[in-house]
Amino acid sequence: MTIRSFLRHETILLLLLVIALIVLAQQSDRFFTTDNLLNQARLMAEVGLLALPMTFVIVTGGIDLSVGSIFGLAAILLGVFWHGLGLPLPLAMALAVLVGGIAGLGNGLIITRFNVPPLIATLATLALYRGLAEGISQARSVRGYPEWFFVLGQGEVLGLPTQLWFLLAIAIAAAIVLGLTTFGRTTYAIGANEVAARFSGLNVARTKLLIYTGSGLVAGLAAVIFVSRVSTTRSDMGTGLELDVITAVVLGGTSIFGGRGTIIGTLLGLILMQALKSGLALGGVKGDGTIVVIGVVLIAAILLGNLLSRNGDG
Amino acid sequence: MTAIVELRQVSKSFGNLKVLKDVSFDVQPGEVHALLGENGAGKSTLIKIISGVLHPDEGELRVVGEAVRLASPREARGRGIATVYQELLLFPELSVAENIYLGHAPRTRWGAIDWPKMRSGARALLDSLDSHDLDVDTKVGLLSVANRQRVEIAKALSQEARLLIMDEPTAALADSDARKLLTIVRRLRDRGVGIIYVSHRMQEIFALADRVTVLRDGAFIATKPIGEVTEGSLVSMMVGRSIDQLFPKTETARGATVLELRNVSHREIVRNVSLTLRAGEILGIAGLIGSGRTETALTIFGITPATSGEILVDGKPVVIDSPAAARALGIAYVPEDRGLQGLVKPQTIRENISLAIIDRLARLLLIDRRREGQLARESIARFGIRARGPEQLVRQLSGGNQQKVVLAKWIATEPRVLIMDEPTRGIDVGAKAEIHALMSKLAGQGLAVLMISSELPEVLGMSDRVLVMRGGAVVAEFDRADATPDAVGSAMTAAGQSSLEGAA
Repeated sequence: MTIRSFLRHETILLLLLVIALIVLAQQSDRFFTTDNLLNQARLMAEVGLLALPMTFVIVTGGIDLSVGSIFGLAAILLGVFWHGLGLPLPLAMALAVLVGGIAGLGNGLIITRFNVPPLIATLATLALYRGLAEGISQARSVRGYPEWFFVLGQGEVLGLPTQLWFLLAIAIAAAIVLGLTTFGRTTYAIGANEVAARFSGLNVARTKLLIYTGSGLVAGLAAVIFVSRVSTTRSDMGTGLELDVITAVVLGGTSIFGGRGTIIGTLLGLILMQALKSGLALGGVKGDGTIVVIGVVLIAAILLGNLLSRNGDG
Repeated sequence: MTAIVELRQVSKSFGNLKVLKDVSFDVQPGEVHALLGENGAGKSTLIKIISGVLHPDEGELRVVGEAVRLASPREARGRGIATVYQELLLFPELSVAENIYLGHAPRTRWGAIDWPKMRSGARALLDSLDSHDLDVDTKVGLLSVANRQRVEIAKALSQEARLLIMDEPTAALADSDARKLLTIVRRLRDRGVGIIYVSHRMQEIFALADRVTVLRDGAFIATKPIGEVTEGSLVSMMVGRSIDQLFPKTETARGATVLELRNVSHREIVRNVSLTLRAGEILGIAGLIGSGRTETALTIFGITPATSGEILVDGKPVVIDSPAAARALGIAYVPEDRGLQGLVKPQTIRENISLAIIDRLARLLLIDRRREGQLARESIARFGIRARGPEQLVRQLSGGNQQKVVLAKWIATEPRVLIMDEPTRGIDVGAKAEIHALMSKLAGQGLAVLMISSELPEVLGMSDRVLVMRGGAVVAEFDRADATPDAVGSAMTAAGQSSLEGAA
């Protein structure tokens, strides 16, 4: 669990990524074009955003299955606030993000106050938040957003897709918080031994509450970006998104048992996953085949990681 | 007489590390043979070879005179070698009878389990162990540690064990349960069972053993009849040098009262506990498991906050509702369960030592890694932690060094009150003396120490005053001079306490 073993896992991921990129570039000459790469970056931004707080969640030994549903709920409410209630769009956007945060806070309260295991708590809210989204939308979609709104999901700033800047900024912040601050240290300690963390006077409940709230907030933000990218709002948005997010985090070397993981690893896992998806699609592999390949890579990465960490122990 | 088990010039290596070197060892029928050595001396390896878990690289293993190669623990059991493990290996959801006969239950003609026979068999075995009160239909998960151990022993006997290996059987027991266990062991011995007995408790070894073998660093040091050794000579054989004192208690000047409890209760578990603790003093709390001693510590430390009564620090009433609040008041707690409550084992020594003061090591929320590393290096030197360096993982350290890490973590908070719960449980005698010396030194520097221990010699050897707890309440108090084993021991168990009961 030392810095060294982290780096070793990440080195392997990087190696896997380079190999994947070389193979994929051979498969299709359209893969390594600026257009395709930027477009892929745009597509992975939402999963990427969600994967950042999910790394914190999983490092504490928890899981948040409800992010896809919070994402859907925030997307719907954006449409409802703006189109239904007639609020100004910027306010509607802020409120949608806030709703995400409240939904996350709800998860955190259930988990910390009532000691419900995160898997069960967020499995319940996965259904609850999705049900709310569908009940509110009544299967109606919202369209007709103003032109300026699409800058967020379809536009560019300084030559890069707008949402990539969000992803980069939050990733850097997350990496600093997890790696260098007391909050990050508390997060690792909780995941490795929650009882000892409590007996050391660390505020376990507050830390978890903040992490789940952050997870909800980011899900709200990702939803706003997503609506801007696809220019419409529907209640089934983000269904199954949590699985992609968790895959990216675990692929990135975060231990599902907690106590171990980095933001850099998560980003590498995310890029590897997106590269496989895009490259294989361009190479003519069908959707089912892509899922199979991602599954195999995930298992391979975990086996390799286990092998290394076992050798790393004294 | 033929030895039940005999090892001849046995060696064993793991990689380049030779953990057993030419060790010879034997156990006769009807003999208690104590096995002594510090952690890492090779006791566990020796036991594992005898119980079929490991194979020797060199030398031979003879069971009742016949050279054998035990392929598995199962084969060892088939030859009458049974082990009662430190961590009991029972199934909590199964009944006592089911656990005893697991894997070899009596069968009816039709191949189904013969329940009446199994229950009566289990009953007979438990009765032969003087455990008439243990119901064979109770789920094992509901039993106390002491009773579970009896079930383990009955299980070994049900397989007609000729040799019973007991690894630290009394480590988790209170004194009264430990005494009962010793009676059971003697009874087995009289029946002709050979027993290998591993324990850190010297008293037990002198009360029980017929012969004793000492290992050190994997090498055989000596096998002697118990009459030819003393505690001092055993300890110096184990550590390879003589330890001046196991309980290096120095007289210190007692300062002002730092911590005071007035009728503090937590639910029904801690009842109207009053105590005062002064700077420079070591106050020992003796009591059986469940007497409320650890529970009192947890209440002072804010894990289970007081439900009534008053806690005063420096004479001022305070509210302690979380460990963070206790820490802020200068109260530190070195917990009973090192692995679970004390350490984040997968993390480094550096990360563990800084854990309780991580806020203080941060500037603008960023951890100052230079200061953190410095703290770790200083602590390693100050507490004599034997490790490769601050970046070594805590789980790779021995029990004694792990305990020093926990102590270092709490001393880093610069506490005024240090609560030590079972400060030397499960650590070897050399490290024990070191922890005791540290405790004495800290008290000498003006720290107020509250020490809880199941080991009476430790309580009596280290404390300036001794409180005795029973049933959640303080039932007696002794000054160092009056605290004799008999007086404290009888206060711990209810014997002859009516007068003190009234006073408390």
